[in-house]
Amino acid sequence: MSGVQTSAPGSPVARRGRLTYLGGRIAEYVVVLLVALTLNFLLPRALPGGPLKLFGSPEALARLTAEERAQIATEYGFGDPIWVQFLDYLKSVVTLDLGTSLSDGREVTAAIWDALPWTLLLVGTSIVFTTLIGIALGVIGGLRRREGKGAFTLIGAIVVDSIPQFWLAMLLIVWFGVKWQIAPTFGATGPDGVTITGLAQHLAMPVATLTITGIGYIFMYTRSSMLNVLTSEPVQHAHARGIPRGRLVRRHVLRPALLPVHTLIMLDIGFLAAGAIVVETVFAYPGLGRLTFGAIAARDYPLMQGTFLVLTLMVVLMNLLADLTYPLLDPRARTGASER
Amino acid sequence: MLVGRCHAWMLVPPPGIEQVTDSPFALPTFDSPPYGEAHVAVYPWEVLVQFPGWKFASSSVAVLALTLTACGGGGSTPPPGNSQETADSVTIAIASDEGTLTPFTNQTGYPGNNLVKLIFDTLAVVQGDEVIGLLAQEIQTEDNQTFTLPLRDGLTWHDGEELTADDVVFSVEFYRDHAEGDSAVDVSMIEDVSADGSTVTMVLDQPDPEFPRMILSDMAILPEHLWADVTKVSEAGTDLAVGSGPYVLEKYDNARGYTLTANPDYALGEVKVDTLKVAIIPEESTQFAALRTGEIDMSTRIVPPQQLDQLQSQANIGIVDGTEYASSLLLFNNGRAPFDDPTVRRAITQAIDTQDLVDTSLLGSGTIGNPGFIHPASPMAAGDTGSAYDLEAANAALDELGAKPGADGIRVLDGKPMSFELLVQSTSTDRLRSAELIREMLREVGIEVKVTSMDSDSLDAKVWPDYDVSQGRNYDMSMWGWSAPVMLSSGLIAQLLYSDPAKGPLNVVGFSDPETDAALDGLTSEETLEGRIDAAADLQTRIAEQAPWVTLYYRDGAYAFRSDTYSGWTWQDGKSALHGFSFVDYDL
Repeated sequence: MSGVQTSAPGSPVARRGRLTYLGGRIAEYVVVLLVALTLNFLLPRALPGGPLKLFGSPEALARLTAEERAQIATEYGFGDPIWVQFLDYLKSVVTLDLGTSLSDGREVTAAIWDALPWTLLLVGTSIVFTTLIGIALGVIGGLRRREGKGAFTLIGAIVVDSIPQFWLAMLLIVWFGVKWQIAPTFGATGPDGVTITGLAQHLAMPVATLTITGIGYIFMYTRSSMLNVLTSEPVQHAHARGIPRGRLVRRHVLRPALLPVHTLIMLDIGFLAAGAIVVETVFAYPGLGRLTFGAIAARDYPLMQGTFLVLTLMVVLMNLLADLTYPLLDPRARTGASER
Repeated sequence: MLVGRCHAWMLVPPPGIEQVTDSPFALPTFDSPPYGEAHVAVYPWEVLVQFPGWKFASSSVAVLALTLTACGGGGSTPPPGNSQETADSVTIAIASDEGTLTPFTNQTGYPGNNLVKLIFDTLAVVQGDEVIGLLAQEIQTEDNQTFTLPLRDGLTWHDGEELTADDVVFSVEFYRDHAEGDSAVDVSMIEDVSADGSTVTMVLDQPDPEFPRMILSDMAILPEHLWADVTKVSEAGTDLAVGSGPYVLEKYDNARGYTLTANPDYALGEVKVDTLKVAIIPEESTQFAALRTGEIDMSTRIVPPQQLDQLQSQANIGIVDGTEYASSLLLFNNGRAPFDDPTVRRAITQAIDTQDLVDTSLLGSGTIGNPGFIHPASPMAAGDTGSAYDLEAANAALDELGAKPGADGIRVLDGKPMSFELLVQSTSTDRLRSAELIREMLREVGIEVKVTSMDSDSLDAKVWPDYDVSQGRNYDMSMWGWSAPVMLSSGLIAQLLYSDPAKGPLNVVGFSDPETDAALDGLTSEETLEGRIDAAADLQTRIAEQAPWVTLYYRDGAYAFRSDTYSGWTWQDGKSALHGFSFVDYDL
């Protein structure tokens, strides 16, 4: 059955439709963001323990009188009623003044600025490798689905996808770090400061870990999408009309097959920043993941809220970006046409 | 304020003190509290300074490709070392960030406090079993109540200012007003402090023979000219990490941890290691891997017993080991039946083979627990009360209480099956193993134990909510441990047992016994060390009888280091190997 909307692309009706669509999506994202912000505020406070432990050894804290405890809580803002804290938090988000870390007195914004570039470098690099390798293998796996290699690749991808990041990271450290000594085991820079060689060496194993554990997902999604398109009626017709296989794949299969993968990759970018927590901790990489891990361990509410905010914004922004860029890639989304 | 700026000088570090230069890639700055000259931020794009035409967008791809050709040498080879007794540079690894390394901003007792004490000297220091003067030439007292402390000559702060007796007086007053902070010291017992020339006099509210060990050796002296206007100590920046100790905090950055350099004007001895780098590596396994490759020279993580042989067998790796005063305990909630009955607590104590725990959980790297709690090597030790393990006696005691086994073999006491939950920290391998072994051991006497592992914070919230024993507790039994300082002071030992929460803020088991309270009064009012040791002997007999908890074992300390870089590590009981004596040839 053909499309339900008949307005020509670029007509006033179509433009109004797109604006309504865009407005609706943005409104949805605002609601999502508000819910996420509320959770970001509540989750740290739902954890057992609290930030009091940052103010001394347990033995020293035990000696504090009730008045001294109240004074510390009031001074650092975690003794106020919960709704007052929430309003303060919302205000801090709006003004982008995220407060001061309770652990070390640093501005939360500054701490995030220090850490974010390292995570972007790590995640960005691994996304490039994961995407290229995952898509390439997925396309090959889809085209050769009936050959032995295709099934073998699928099983391999499932196995790789199941590998825990922590375990793989330790394995790489033991082999490449300790046994063969061809990559440093921790950190982001060498003793000479920030150099290309040092950055590359220190990125090698964290990126390899994220890439290997991320390939399987994209591979399986690409392969599945390829199979759907290859078995669709238009492609079958094209095949019956005698269009050469190479041209068929390039012009009629790849683009529709990679559309869902595009959305997946956009979402992955957002989630990988959070997923780098394990890798950054194991490799002592000074990024946002390690900052988040430290903040949670210390129950540093302002820092937790700050890092959670960045992770939330990354996920939401990537979703929005995926939504906005999808029509550029898919003409059906541009015209509102749909196929049933 | 330097946070958020890039520094071109990072690319080619000059020798000596590093300079700060703005780069064209500077990020916006923030209105944060003064973080100090020593704090710098490092960013990956600093490589762009080397390659102005470099396209950042393509760098991600190229970076890993370069690795294939570039990582054949460099970072993974062991660092060059000097002779073993001195070194140009030593890198140690710690598990987590320790803030700005002032006495109010370090996060942990070990290794945080140890690092702070390399920057800030104290009036006295513990050497072996003795307390000797450090900043103070000697410790003079006739009655353990009035302490006269003449300071040494030529003492200076890292910024060149003279260290005076007024700084010491200021420090005492400052600690009195600021109790928060991991390395903050409780000075409430100091009734009066005064300076006369270069001599400080402290008068206590009552005689305390442990004052030199517990306070004078622990109180980091602060420079008045820098700290006088500080009100919010938890936000103290690196500009306040200026002490008079053997090391100067040179740099603290988010990428590489800390750099400490030898204090060139240190008057109390010769510093043996020029530069001490401190890397932050959260994962224990990564720390030991980095040690094996030579990327670090010492790990502050205790070597797990199962890895000890493997590490020791590797060339160029040495182990420094000794007595740790930290204890591992099995707590009873003394306020909850049937643990409110000392007979039940004692019977459970008798059913636990602590030697088996040491042999199995620690692979022998530990000392079995003294039923009287006090470590046999503690300054307060007065003999061992011997092992309490006696399975027959445990069964007989439970039989006598009328706790008969039910159909499932579990004893029933007062109509309730003796089935209890045992909490254990999920992050502690030896305690997890011990908890499982205890479950098996108690099954032998008809007591069922359900082991529940949880993260430390969740466990703390049940055992010691808000670190305030007056809030009560919510557990049956729990694995627990006290850090070394608790074992070194009769005052802290007393705080474990006093029934009044104000006097017993560490009484996490809710133990209450008027006779013990009276014994504790006697202990803490003794005016001589000998008197306190005698009183402690009586106390440990009482602890063994009352069994408010089971003292399972004291884990030995073992730390690994690269002997090809530096082997001057020395052991100090209670402080492990990270202290001044490992780095300084003192002339005291």
